[in-house]
Amino acid sequence: MLKIENLTATVGEGEDAKTILNGLSLAVPTGEVHAIMGPNGAGKSTLSYVLTGREGYAVTGGSATLNGADILALEPEARAAAGLFLSFQYPVEIPGVPVMTFVRTAMNAQRKARGETEISAPDFIKKSREIAKVLSLDPEMLKRPVNVGFSGGEKKRLEIYQMMMLEPRFMVLDETDSGLDIDALRTVAEGVNALRAPDRGMLVITHYQRLLDYIKPDKVHVLAKGRIVKTGGPELAHRLEAEGYDGVLAEAV
Amino acid sequence: MSTALKDLIRNPTIAELEIVARFAALKADARRERLFEAFAQTGLPGRRIEGWRWTDFKAAVTSLDVLKASPARDPLAREGVATLRFTPAGYTAPATLPSGLKLLAKDDVQAMGGAEEAPLGALAAALSGGKTPGTLLVDVSAGAPVHLHMVFEGPGAINAARIVFLLRPGAELHVSESHLGGAALSIALVEFTLNKGARLHRTVYQIGGASEAQAVTALIEQDAGAESVLTTLAFGAKVARLETRLVHRETGSKATINAAYLAGAGLQADITTHVRHGAPSCVTRQLTKGAVLDGGRGVFQGKFHVPRTSGQQTDASMQHNALLLEEGAEVFAKPELEILADDVQCAHGNTSGALDAAQLFYLRQRGIPLTQARAMLTEAFIAQALEGAGDLEDALRAEAQAWLNHAA
Repeated sequence: MLKIENLTATVGEGEDAKTILNGLSLAVPTGEVHAIMGPNGAGKSTLSYVLTGREGYAVTGGSATLNGADILALEPEARAAAGLFLSFQYPVEIPGVPVMTFVRTAMNAQRKARGETEISAPDFIKKSREIAKVLSLDPEMLKRPVNVGFSGGEKKRLEIYQMMMLEPRFMVLDETDSGLDIDALRTVAEGVNALRAPDRGMLVITHYQRLLDYIKPDKVHVLAKGRIVKTGGPELAHRLEAEGYDGVLAEAV
Repeated sequence: MSTALKDLIRNPTIAELEIVARFAALKADARRERLFEAFAQTGLPGRRIEGWRWTDFKAAVTSLDVLKASPARDPLAREGVATLRFTPAGYTAPATLPSGLKLLAKDDVQAMGGAEEAPLGALAAALSGGKTPGTLLVDVSAGAPVHLHMVFEGPGAINAARIVFLLRPGAELHVSESHLGGAALSIALVEFTLNKGARLHRTVYQIGGASEAQAVTALIEQDAGAESVLTTLAFGAKVARLETRLVHRETGSKATINAAYLAGAGLQADITTHVRHGAPSCVTRQLTKGAVLDGGRGVFQGKFHVPRTSGQQTDASMQHNALLLEEGAEVFAKPELEILADDVQCAHGNTSGALDAAQLFYLRQRGIPLTQARAMLTEAFIAQALEGAGDLEDALRAEAQAWLNHAA
């Protein structure tokens, strides 16, 4: 279970530091999929970066635990080894590093950190081939440098490929739907749904309700001004779509 | 020693006096003297000399004692490839040479063009001789590609060597050089003349200790349709200069000049090139990549000279990108285009900076530890500069990888 309690965080340094998360509390039990929706500037991406430990964000109060362990004290790579995965809103290009090399290095680094043995090359290739097929990824693409020259849709599918390869315990999907056409969205959602499991949790961050037609959440939270202001079932996403954030937020205050 | 000799260098340092004494002990030869005079104009070049501001041999070479360093490993050594070995004690060549290759050891010194522009090349030419030939001539004839490996290593005070290659029309030479240091001062001069349609693949590996000085000077002249692919991996030394001076002297000549340097604490690597487009429609592609740690120094000086009449339809590009891996790393760069012709395509770019924070975070979020992530990104950054090394690319990459994993 991912448990966030009264989390406050700032971005920037010194006098320029700006509070983005302002007492955020949230619990996603293992096996559930929760969605976070919110207007621009609510703190959605900041939450994903604070959870995964990106530089430039400072936690000023509160806590976040994954399966009971404090994750905020860990280096980003240790959080990954503990099973936390972020599907980036803007996946990063890594010139000169082929996808397969990258993912295998990551997988073995995680396994080493957990005291497990490395995956053999044949096992890795077999697994990669199976997952590429599910996601309709061209195997040639996996030999090319990570994200270099990939379309927006290809980049997002590659995030899901990495997620399926690394089999994290908890996944944060940051605006995975942005930049996807309807076919790509369906493929990506199928990949995500295939990963739904009783021992795995998921937090889906999105601006629009559209993604939630394909990835059905157990709960929907509304994030505004750095806090969760409203929580409900999947119907809350439809209300937001129909009435807009202003309508729902006015009622919440 | 005659007074005239002693006075050749103004205010000589102790090391320079030793160099003069060594020169005086060699067999008198008018050409040798002219070369030494060319060197003596500057003495050991240092920060007061144009082009040596960041690579100060005068200050770095304080004495010429025999070093007791353990010899460096040669990653380019291969079974079945003819190997020439140059040490302060002399040179050795295999009993049988590949067909298409002739070796001629000349006692007397051959003339060298542009000696004044390359003082350490001139010094290598002036001091070679005695136990090594004054000039080692290598004649490569047309036919199947010829492979040759050359090793330059100590121990000793000064290791000076000069090799002159002549590639006959249509000849193809694949030469690799390992400059492993081991002497207080290692100076090598390697010259190549590429006749019409000749092809040269030259791969250079350089490594040296924190109390050694090394200079590798290459002079290359290319005739019509000749092509050279030059690849260098340099780890530097107390001072290390890898200088290439190339002239396109007939139409349609082409050169690819790539280099990567990796400089750790107390080490300096200098990549200096000068390319003259002395004939129309010649092509130069130059890429230099570097990565430097705290206390290390990288230097890149590149110059394209395109004369007004002979340089028309020149197609040339120069790129230098450096990574400063830690605070306290230093990189000095001076890219220069001197273009007098009006119908040319010339481009250059020069960057230096730290690793990209977004890329580092992306790797770490996937579970790759910081040190490994840095090494991966740095290796990817320099890799392109080593791609031209062909069969030797993997060996060079393995050395770079080992350095990065050790350094991080």
